[in-house]
Amino acid sequence: MAEIVIDGIPYSFEGKPKLLDFILSKNKDVPFFCYHPSMSAPANCRMCMVKVGQYVKNRETGDYELDDQGERRIRWFPKLQTSCNMDMMDDMIVHTHETDDLVKRAHKDTLEMILINHPLDCPICDQAGECPLQIQTYKYGPEGSRFEVKKQHKPKHVQLGPRVTLDAERCINCTRCTRFTDEISQSHQLTITRRGDKNHPTTAPGTVFDDPYSMNTIDLCPVGALTSTDFRFKARVWEMNQTPGLDITNGKGVNVDLWTRDNVVLRITPRHNPHVNEYWMTDKGRDAIHLYNEQRLSTPAIRLHPNDSSLVMTSWDNAYQTTQEIVESTDTKQILVLGSPYASVEENGAWMQFSESILKQSPSYTTHIEKESGDDFLLVDDQAPNTYGCELLGLKKRTKAAFKKAVAEAKVILSLHDDYIERGWLSEEEIKGKTWIYFGTNHTQMAKAATLTIPITCAVEHTASYVNVDQRIQRTYPAKETKYTNRRLDLEMSEGRLDRFGTKFDHWVNEDHKVDCKPLWEIVGDLSLLWGHTLSYRHGRDVLDALASNIPALEGVTYQAMDDQRGILLTSSETQEASS
Amino acid sequence: MSDWTTYEPVLIPNIAGLDRLETYRKHGGYDALHAVLHDQNTWPDPASVVQEVKEANIRGRGGAGFNAGLKWSFMPPVDGGPRYLACNGDESEPGTFKDRKIFEYNPFLFIEGATIAAYAMSITSIYVYIRGEYRSWIHKMEKAVSDAYDAGLLGQNILGSDFSVDLVLHSGAGAYICGEETSLLESLEGKRGYPRVKPPFPAQRGLWGRPTTINNIETLSNVPGVIRNGADWFKSIGAESHPGPILYGISGHVNRPGVYELPSGMPVMTLIEEVAQGMRNGKKLKAIIPGGSSTPILPAKDLEDLTMDADALRGAGSMMGTAGMVVMDEDTDIVETLWRISKFYHHESCGQCTPCREGTGWLEKILEKVVTGQGTTRDLDLLLDITSQMEGRTICALADAAAWPVRYTISRFRDEFEARCKPSLIPVG
Ligand SMILES: Cc1cc2nc3c(=O)[nH]c(=O)nc-3n(C[C@H](O)[C@H](O)[C@H](O)COP(=O)(O)O)c2cc1C
Ligand code: SF4
Ligand code: SF4
Ligand code: FES
Repeated sequence: MAEIVIDGIPYSFEGKPKLLDFILSKNKDVPFFCYHPSMSAPANCRMCMVKVGQYVKNRETGDYELDDQGERRIRWFPKLQTSCNMDMMDDMIVHTHETDDLVKRAHKDTLEMILINHPLDCPICDQAGECPLQIQTYKYGPEGSRFEVKKQHKPKHVQLGPRVTLDAERCINCTRCTRFTDEISQSHQLTITRRGDKNHPTTAPGTVFDDPYSMNTIDLCPVGALTSTDFRFKARVWEMNQTPGLDITNGKGVNVDLWTRDNVVLRITPRHNPHVNEYWMTDKGRDAIHLYNEQRLSTPAIRLHPNDSSLVMTSWDNAYQTTQEIVESTDTKQILVLGSPYASVEENGAWMQFSESILKQSPSYTTHIEKESGDDFLLVDDQAPNTYGCELLGLKKRTKAAFKKAVAEAKVILSLHDDYIERGWLSEEEIKGKTWIYFGTNHTQMAKAATLTIPITCAVEHTASYVNVDQRIQRTYPAKETKYTNRRLDLEMSEGRLDRFGTKFDHWVNEDHKVDCKPLWEIVGDLSLLWGHTLSYRHGRDVLDALASNIPALEGVTYQAMDDQRGILLTSSETQEASS
Repeated sequence: MSDWTTYEPVLIPNIAGLDRLETYRKHGGYDALHAVLHDQNTWPDPASVVQEVKEANIRGRGGAGFNAGLKWSFMPPVDGGPRYLACNGDESEPGTFKDRKIFEYNPFLFIEGATIAAYAMSITSIYVYIRGEYRSWIHKMEKAVSDAYDAGLLGQNILGSDFSVDLVLHSGAGAYICGEETSLLESLEGKRGYPRVKPPFPAQRGLWGRPTTINNIETLSNVPGVIRNGADWFKSIGAESHPGPILYGISGHVNRPGVYELPSGMPVMTLIEEVAQGMRNGKKLKAIIPGGSSTPILPAKDLEDLTMDADALRGAGSMMGTAGMVVMDEDTDIVETLWRISKFYHHESCGQCTPCREGTGWLEKILEKVVTGQGTTRDLDLLLDITSQMEGRTICALADAAAWPVRYTISRFRDEFEARCKPSLIPVG
């Protein structure tokens, strides 16, 4: 075991960690910009300077050499060293800015340099509030600037690609973005152009930055140089709530943060999970904001006459009663119940219980696996977030042909989420004459063709779990309120300054952004009451607890455990081997 | 020191047509390579060549003055994979124009030297990086390389031995920074000329991640002489601690500017007064920049007994650099000279490191203020402060090269700078 002394405190270590990594892991601060734990260290920002030395040992005896005071003699490196690319060695002595004025001065100097040509436009910059440059400057920077000459101007609002906009004047040339496209997404679409203080990232002439992971560079960029074309100027960071969630546009189960203000999801960013997505997510996953905010089914709706071209709003009670009437007037053999891999474990679980106890059948589902559509990174072939969840609950998987046959034979269909029309599996013609009750979140083509639509909460409005392609079960938190939820009562919801202090006279509190929908488990609970059953689930937790005590694979699975372990791998390696 | 007037040049001797292979060979060219490959008694193995070169103490002529043989000895043991020699002919430091004389007058000397170096380090490919603006010398080198291939002096089984090596010419694209050794490697790999962080050093991980040695053209051109005549012969030339012939590139306000091959350790005043035949128009000498624009300027008063070798120059507060000496007469505007030098480094900083990317421009802009009479004396202190924020804090030495001229020119000619500045304090009343 080797030893190192940092600011007078000895630490032991193994292997050859990089000094900055090690210092940060000890909860000490060293300012840095270009370093990123999952990419190479170019050591170009020159911010993470420390003073480094090593105890001198006598070559022959191997004893430490002592000075006049009897202290171990230290051989200092002649220059300050960047800690991000420094390999740790036994007997190393490190002084950070906490114990060395020269290091403190170096931090100040580098920040002064970074800022001389910087536009200093924090008041209109998206990054303000979460900007490493802003933070480090407050902590370590000089009081003012001695720069009294003309700033270097560089290109502004450059559309690098469809989703990323560059302001080159804010760029500090840390090359995180170019290294991302070289080392992580490997599209090699970005490079730095020009020399010296004219440096800035760019694409090759005639090409655009349309990497399917391009928006990760926005998160990586330590300043506001790379901004989201969509999110630009929409909100200040401190106005938003940040809620952990999952990317439901793909089976990978990428962990995300949902940024909301006034019940609108304004942006989605990746949340670090070393087991799933590291620091990254797909651009497609960020697009889910439209799914959550727009074209939402709100308030149940019914087609009064089969030939009516549209549905009309109706009350929840009427929707429930109509459902009961339809079901009771139909032979259960002619009813088809469809689950969905787009819905969570809890939703499919509650759905299944309802179906089995009242409709006397198990729901079936169809998968959304598009062969060869994935890559080796975060895009997998499975387009749905919970295919394994459906399998685990024992929902019957149907092929396209089997599905079409079942629909053809059914008179009444109760379906969840899936848009079979958009998918091209059904035509509107094929469902004419059938009674279709659609439980969904958005105005899909299925919703338009249905007889009755019942709006359910989407992934960002409830607590629920999903099992990804690697059979890891992970959970979401509610990020948006519905008409029936209340941030202050639902203790799992984050509450930001505006939620706490906003009043209805403030323009950011808007009832219109609350959707009139309910969690599916509540709906089936309400429905089952009509048949005299009590499936009373008030929270996703109730459903999960019930499932965990019935399904062996879910034994011990709780939200707490999922939080603690960053998701739980449901199959141990032995069972995986046995099944393959 | 022996009389320089009787010195016989060896790098660019006065022989007509030496740039033709037959002439070169007639005058002993390729004897050294032949000996190394075939004279088993003198040169039993590649290590013996490295040893001799190390012994000779050829200090790198690219600017840093590192013992070439010692550098060669850092190459790791042969592992069967490719190993490279990169020859640095980028020659972009202002005031430096010596390597091109070798390309022009004695290309085979360099090619032979590089081939011997390749043998000594078991190199599989040699890359020669030539400054892009040297169009005509690149063409010349292309011809020389092709002649060497035709004569079996490059390529497979050189001179009938079992040693083989290829040589590839690569033209630069006009960036000074590509002369920095690791930036040169990036450039050869087809990437942006961003210097690499060291460690790892090129001997461990160089071109395409393989062991690589980088040497200057003039450095390698000294190798055949050392092999032919021995390390002792080489050490007997010029200054003891920095031996061998030097191509002095003398430019500026002298009567006969040019490249002169003479022993190292020449007295500066002899170079100016006799070799370059004195100051132009009989003007008085004001200062010199001894070895390329990055080396600290020396005022005339310090030049009396100064000799051109690393130790003496360090003692005087400057450096040997590339021995490209810029001579300035009494009419020279030192302030404007410094501004021009700073403009160059600002233009050439690759932009990777914060202190260099931002500092070089800041220096230039403040100097522009001073030159145009807008500066204040406070600006001079700021300039000095900025240099201390740049020195020793970057990936490569360009930041130092940009900072030193500013630091030393201001400290050595402060009067002239102050004379151009407005006072910082507005007097009361
Ligand atoms: C900014 C910069 C530019 C350089 N340009 C050159 C050059 O043009 N030619 C050269 O030979 N060395 C140049 N060098 C020095 C090289 O990095 C390297 O030390 C040299 O090529 C090694 O060869 P040598 O040991 O034979 O001198 C430069 C160094 C720096 C920092
Ligand atoms: S755009 Fe951002 S990430 Fe890219 S180099 Fe500039 S500061 Fe770094
Ligand atoms: S010191 Fe200057 S030239 Fe050298 S790597 Fe850094 S920015 Fe580039
Ligand atoms: S973080 Fe170490 S130099 Fe940028």
